[in-house]
Amino acid sequence: MTFSTEATGVKLAEILSEYLKTNCADTPAGNREITAATNMVSDLQLDSFQVMEFMLEVEDHYDIAIDMESLSNIQTIQDLAAVVITAHND
Amino acid sequence: MSLFDKFDAALQLKEGLADIGKDPTDVVFDSLISATEGIVKGRRTILAGTNNYLGLTFDKDCIAAGVAALESQGTGTTGSRMANGSYAAHGALEAELADFFQCDHAMVFSTGFTANLGVLTALLGKGDVVLLDADAHASLYDGCQMSGADIFRFKHNDVKSLERRLERLKDRASRCLIVVEGMYSVLGDCAPLAEFVELKERFGARLLVDEAHSVGVYGEHGCGVAELQGVLDKVDFIVGTFSKSLGAMGGFCASRHDVLGLFRYISRPFMFTASPSPAVMATTREALRQLRTRPELRQTLWENASRLYNGLQELGFELGPEISPVVAVRCKDRQSALANWNKLLEAGIYVNMMLPPATPGGASFLRCSISAAHTPNQITKIIKTFAEL
Repeated sequence: MTFSTEATGVKLAEILSEYLKTNCADTPAGNREITAATNMVSDLQLDSFQVMEFMLEVEDHYDIAIDMESLSNIQTIQDLAAVVITAHND
Repeated sequence: MSLFDKFDAALQLKEGLADIGKDPTDVVFDSLISATEGIVKGRRTILAGTNNYLGLTFDKDCIAAGVAALESQGTGTTGSRMANGSYAAHGALEAELADFFQCDHAMVFSTGFTANLGVLTALLGKGDVVLLDADAHASLYDGCQMSGADIFRFKHNDVKSLERRLERLKDRASRCLIVVEGMYSVLGDCAPLAEFVELKERFGARLLVDEAHSVGVYGEHGCGVAELQGVLDKVDFIVGTFSKSLGAMGGFCASRHDVLGLFRYISRPFMFTASPSPAVMATTREALRQLRTRPELRQTLWENASRLYNGLQELGFELGPEISPVVAVRCKDRQSALANWNKLLEAGIYVNMMLPPATPGGASFLRCSISAAHTPNQITKIIKTFAEL
């Protein structure tokens, strides 16, 4: 099964929206619209722990493993989509 | 953009803390009265945030051992063991630790942080894999990152999450080190080590357990959570510190594997750090002797822990998941944690403040650590002061 960057970005935006509703409901990020260009740190003000928690959700959803070095280069949903596709193809 | 711009965030944090009252990162104990009391800003203050679990920092025999070592061997070793040689006490403590953990090898480091850096960078390299508990201590993260191994995290204390990641590794599982803690320092919750051992054996991986907060606290002989759960002989590497139950400073690794004896030739944090001083070795050895011969210390510690946990629970505070010598009180947000921490200090109670992102779930906590040396009256006062928040 292969994933397109666009479709993966849409799915990741859904997963992130769900994560924010559950974990950040009382912050401005809780109701923010998520797009492929959304930057998790500068736009949503997520701290490093929240980004890590969200990544664990993504790993479980796609049944992939993302190493910490790859994580350090991810800022936007689009960046994450590229990493997810690479990890899935590996 | 300048070299110093990155400090803007730290400056904001510092100013934000100062606006609330006393900066929790800048508490000064003007003097110490005992293992559980000190003077802060001229006020007698109960120390309920020191990780001094067995209360041995003022033990007369530990102090006498330290004084004797200072007088007979001087103030410091002035260099690393590789360059300057070892003192007899270094080897003696290593033998005593190996005996304590019922394994063949032990190695002493200058701090607990250095122990983790030293062990992980010696054990791991490029091409190896680490599966790291997401809530692991910063020293474990840093050691793994320094090693060059591929690092994957799994959900905190989640056996299924670890199992899924081991399955994904396939053949690489045999080059995998699972890295966890015994008791986690923020909430006082324990790892399911027996289940982790079953997984590491099934997949051919290795297991390292950091028992920094659990040595002297858990297990029939005080060896930690691995002993409590009956898997002490199955854990590949145990790391820990002398700075908590043993009341001194330094770190160690114990293992049944012969390779530990080779770490001293390749572990840079070991090779290029001054070795622990004679006084530190002496007080640690005496504290370890007491840990082994005075089980009543552990019994008192647990009685005190239960008293505090139950007292705060009855008041309606949301606490960590199990009774332990770490009692973490969840606060509704960062501001209330800061305000209540200041109120406690003003009332003569010192606890730790734990703020995100260094906390599980991004929550804010007032963290108490209890000691065998706390008196019932002191614990009653801590509970009463919390009730008045």
